Amino acid sequence: MESEGTDDYETLISTTDADLLKRSWRNEKAAPEILQFQSSLVQRSREQIQLMEETVEELIANDEDPLTVSLYQMDIDRTLFLLRSYLRTRLQKIEKFMFHIQKAEDLWARLSRQEQKFAKQSIEDLKTHLEQSVLSKLPDRYQSHLKQSVISEEADMGIFFYLNCTYIQICMFANNLISMFS
Amino acid sequence: MYGRKASQLLKEFVSGEPGQLTGFNNDVFAQVIEECDGNILHLQALLRKMQEEGSNNQTNKNADHFGALVHHLSLVRNKRCLMAYVYNRAEVIQNLGWTIKHADLPAAVKEKLSISENEYFGKHSSNLQSYMLDLNLDLAVDMVPPKDPYIKVRVLEEIGEVLLSDQIANLAMHSILFLKRIDAESFISQGKMEELTS
Repeated sequence: MESEGTDDYETLISTTDADLLKRSWRNEKAAPEILQFQSSLVQRSREQIQLMEETVEELIANDEDPLTVSLYQMDIDRTLFLLRSYLRTRLQKIEKFMFHIQKAEDLWARLSRQEQKFAKQSIEDLKTHLEQSVLSKLPDRYQSHLKQSVISEEADMGIFFYLNCTYIQICMFANNLISMFS
Repeated sequence: MYGRKASQLLKEFVSGEPGQLTGFNNDVFAQVIEECDGNILHLQALLRKMQEEGSNNQTNKNADHFGALVHHLSLVRNKRCLMAYVYNRAEVIQNLGWTIKHADLPAAVKEKLSISENEYFGKHSSNLQSYMLDLNLDLAVDMVPPKDPYIKVRVLEEIGEVLLSDQIANLAMHSILFLKRIDAESFISQGKMEELTS
């Protein structure tokens, strides 16, 4: 029991921010949904990168061995890549599922402040684009971007899977049809 | 047959290279919209007729009832197809925003976009830029995991003197240099440089 306790303690100590960032990045890459934004981890990583960049500049100023400098530089590059790829993966998920994320409160809360701003703007832009291109040209009662027509009770437009809509749900609307137009 | 034109539009999109756009098909698009207008006219006429006859649609489903249904379904299907066409193209445009700035868009690509798509691309790419500005971090570089901080590149177009992150370099045409990968990446994506792999 005791040795297990120390193991845990040691793994805890040896888990650096770089490891944590790598783990978050891997999780984000593998998960289909958007995960909680690691704000303090991102903040710390950025500070660390800045610190390392300063160190590299110092090393160059002191005419240090080029090999040492380039090893530091490579470390910075790797951390930067992880950070960028992490943020990029999240942003691409937001682009893909923006309507869904906005609708689901728990998902929306997982975004950082800047990501929320980005998502809001993206939704606005895409909506305008869809309205200009398609919806404004359709009859009145078919102009929603979330519902197929006004008789739909919920958002059934399925905005992400359009190309799979090869079947028609016949008769589903039959009884609602009259009430829609009368 | 109702809905055939709209599915043509989608087939055209699907048969293209993934991630690439063909020209926006204004012709077929307008024809589908026309079909929708036709559908709504028929639909409204049929519904009016049914109301005048006072038929109860719950119990008495006659030919008019199903006629109206067909028009409604055709409309809904056409709408889905049109939305799918525009939305899937918009996804390609979104990806484009990651690799190229709106101002740098080549004319050959620009003419394939509709007016609204062009506008959307501009808005989306400036939205991305403002996110990066908020974070003070350029996300459009570093697309592949770094192996070596420096790469060997050949300059394909005359670029001239440029301030890079660690030096001022003269990027003359055909010259071969060692640059920081981050500096070179934006030039490579614009097609002004190529990476030499030995």
